[in-house]
Amino acid sequence: MKTLEELENFYKTNLLPELLELEERRKKLLKKYFVIALGPICIVAVGIFILTKYLNLISEIIFFVLAPCVIATVVICIFITRGYVRDFKILVIDQIVRFIDENLTYYQSRFIPRSVFVASQIFKTKPNRYKGDDYVNGKIGDTQIQFSEIDAKYESGSGKNRSVKTVFKGLFFIADFNKNFKGQTIVLPDAAEKLFGHFGKLLQSWNLVRDQLISLEDPEFEKLFVVYGSDQVEARYILSTSLMKRIIDFREKTNRNMYLSFVGSKVFVAVPYTRNLFEPRIFKTVVDFEPIKEYYEDLLLAVGIVDDLNLNTRIWSKN
Amino acid sequence: MWFAIIIAVLVILFVIFLYNALIAKKNQVINVFGSIDALLKKRYDLIPKLITTVKQYMKHERELLEKITELRAKAVSGQISDDQKVDLENKIAKVLGGIMVAVENYPDLKANQNFLQLQGSMNEVEEQISAARRAYNAAVTDYNNAVEMFPTNILASMMQYKLKKVFEIPDEQRRDIDAEKLFGT
Repeated sequence: MKTLEELENFYKTNLLPELLELEERRKKLLKKYFVIALGPICIVAVGIFILTKYLNLISEIIFFVLAPCVIATVVICIFITRGYVRDFKILVIDQIVRFIDENLTYYQSRFIPRSVFVASQIFKTKPNRYKGDDYVNGKIGDTQIQFSEIDAKYESGSGKNRSVKTVFKGLFFIADFNKNFKGQTIVLPDAAEKLFGHFGKLLQSWNLVRDQLISLEDPEFEKLFVVYGSDQVEARYILSTSLMKRIIDFREKTNRNMYLSFVGSKVFVAVPYTRNLFEPRIFKTVVDFEPIKEYYEDLLLAVGIVDDLNLNTRIWSKN
Repeated sequence: MWFAIIIAVLVILFVIFLYNALIAKKNQVINVFGSIDALLKKRYDLIPKLITTVKQYMKHERELLEKITELRAKAVSGQISDDQKVDLENKIAKVLGGIMVAVENYPDLKANQNFLQLQGSMNEVEEQISAARRAYNAAVTDYNNAVEMFPTNILASMMQYKLKKVFEIPDEQRRDIDAEKLFGT
């Protein structure tokens, strides 16, 4: 495990030169934004002037002039930002990943495939709008891991009835689990029990979409999570008393409603985030240590799951 | 008139629902107990393999090995009552634990591939037995709840369902295995 001091040294020696270069590009980017916006602003100003003074066609035509200009500006800005973001990630994020562990590889535009996301069985809604980025894979000790950011949405209806529901947005992590098992066990954050107590448990056991309800002995765990599984004994084999405690501790560490599943001898962990991770700043300076620390901590959270869940302890028949 | 009939039908349906729930809980207990039995058999099957692997190295542990062979023979003989079974189980677990502790004194054995694989399998089966015990206790608790809580307790007493016992870990096992005691100085 690297210390914060080591990270600071790494920041000063390896990252700072790249960051200074990127800072120059960022400033140029902002200038470009300004210039690009300038054009439409002039057009709009002149347009409004002409239209109101000479033609008296205020509302609709202003709309027809204003809106396309704004949209065009925004689209062009997004387009030119992409190059900057991509280069930032390749130069900075990639280095931080390898700093954390030499055996990890970073791919800026790859992400966990949708088929794998669905195979985890965590989310019952199959997303039809699926994207992601910032993919990392490699081996931590004896454990093979991969993770990426995922933005999965479900869009239904069309035209006026269109509604877009977020299935999951955040960090999606997969690792080899240290025990062999045949079926599946799903651990979800427990809303019903918090609200309804004993009656909530009854409702949960009537769930038609999921496997059978698994009631575990750890009361703290039960308060936080609800577990469904294909086999009562296997679920308890996977969720040993020590693993349950570790999951509770991890949840406290992240302070987010995480989801886990154990399928196909792998463990899947989904940690929701509302913000985008690993994105470079555009409107603030990128040279600071602060954002680097944040990227590092976000990556460390994912990589740390291996130790947090004790996945490198391989004393059973799986190696 | 119709109202009364509908109420009567609903009540009957409700009773059927409760009746089936009780039966399901009772059967779940039997089901999980079956899993425990199956896992215990898995453990018994591993013991002879353990003995052959360990015998050549652990020249000083002859007593322990003989003990486990004897206990295992008793367990698979099938001529013991349920209570004796549980008692036997605890004894076997203790002796197995003792053997695993004794292995620490034989570095050659510890590095042996066969042994390591065997150790992995044994750890696995022990954890699975532990998981099955927990599942059994959960099933029994669920069943006991139904037998004691209203309204299923009425049905339960009519069907003469009694409370069942959960698996308890005997105090002996709760205390840390005293290796010296086990070796019997």
